[in-house]
Amino acid sequence: MILRELSRQTLRSCLANGGVRLRTGPIVTCIRSRCDEVLNGLALLYADYPVEDEGSFADFHAAIAPPRSVRRWLRPQISFEFDGASPFFPLPADQAFAALEWGLNWCVSFHCHQYLIVHAACLERTGCALLLPGEPGSGKSTLCAGLVSRGWRLLSDELALLDFATGEAVPLPRPISLKNAAIDVIRAFAHDAVLSTPVHDTSKGSVAHMRAPLESVHRAGELARPRWIVLPKYRSDATTSLNPLSRGRAFMELADHAFNYDLHGRRGFDLLADIVSGCHCHTFEYSALDEAVTVFDTLSATA
Amino acid sequence: MQSLSVPRWRSVPRDAVALREFDGEFVVRNESTGNSHLLGLLAGRVLVVLLDARGSLDAAEIASHLDTTVSPVETGEAYDAVEEVLAEFCRLGLADIEST
Repeated sequence: MILRELSRQTLRSCLANGGVRLRTGPIVTCIRSRCDEVLNGLALLYADYPVEDEGSFADFHAAIAPPRSVRRWLRPQISFEFDGASPFFPLPADQAFAALEWGLNWCVSFHCHQYLIVHAACLERTGCALLLPGEPGSGKSTLCAGLVSRGWRLLSDELALLDFATGEAVPLPRPISLKNAAIDVIRAFAHDAVLSTPVHDTSKGSVAHMRAPLESVHRAGELARPRWIVLPKYRSDATTSLNPLSRGRAFMELADHAFNYDLHGRRGFDLLADIVSGCHCHTFEYSALDEAVTVFDTLSATA
Repeated sequence: MQSLSVPRWRSVPRDAVALREFDGEFVVRNESTGNSHLLGLLAGRVLVVLLDARGSLDAAEIASHLDTTVSPVETGEAYDAVEEVLAEFCRLGLADIEST
């Protein structure tokens, strides 16, 4: 069953009671909430995702709920709850869906240590994976959204999961987080993209989420071997330029952007080294998204 | 007159480092510190010489083991460059002066 097959009333009831067991790639999260923002966000952005049976195994149990303090009576607030605990400060209630997305990222990055997890967007074309590691503000999500709007398959916008057994990237296709100016950039670039209503004044500024393409959701079980590592950098006046990056430097960048590289010790080193040895590595500066897409289409032809 | 002994260097044991070469650069993981480092060609070759050595080596001996394509400089300059690399290895915990 997929989420859109649940009536709105059923979805609301499931969220309010036992939870909705949502599958995103290899991960099942049991989500509970009585917030309309969560209900609406899931219905809009996760409509095509598998929903597992009530009572089946879930990797994570997450909830968006009012905080257990009197402050919630002064100003509506929500808290992200994980296994019954609240690891973060409460947020304004209109940020409920964004808080769920951030919380789910936290669940994966701090618990899914069966993978090497790199803070990177990850896409696929011609059977090969493109890793885009980058700091917040590097333009990685904007580039990712632009590429998936032009036929690249989304594996992940935020967390690249690398499999120790095969060295392949494991899809975790979830909504793409767009911030501030990137929201209008993608609206103009991809007219058919489905975006949530932006929420403003978050810790990251204005935030909206873009729905993952249907094909990416359907092919969430198809792993892909990394072939390109590209460090993106958006700069408002940049001329589009793709430049070679040494594999040694690319290795260090991936290690720096990994959440659990240190945790895995030698195993993590060997996996990253194997991946880097099979990749073409570049830095990339851009300001025009259409030119950026052209560059990456050309790059994918070298697979 | 007191004679100063030349320092002799020993790397961490081979099984305490993971090392890969990529196109003239090396990435190395020091298991004892958990840190990873990017080494240039000269530093990488110096580390390999130390790892392969049966005992400690001084800077001149290390320089003599280096492929001339790695350090195509005069002997004195190579010696100085190796000493700088060794000092950095000491800081990173990749090598140390053998105590007498």
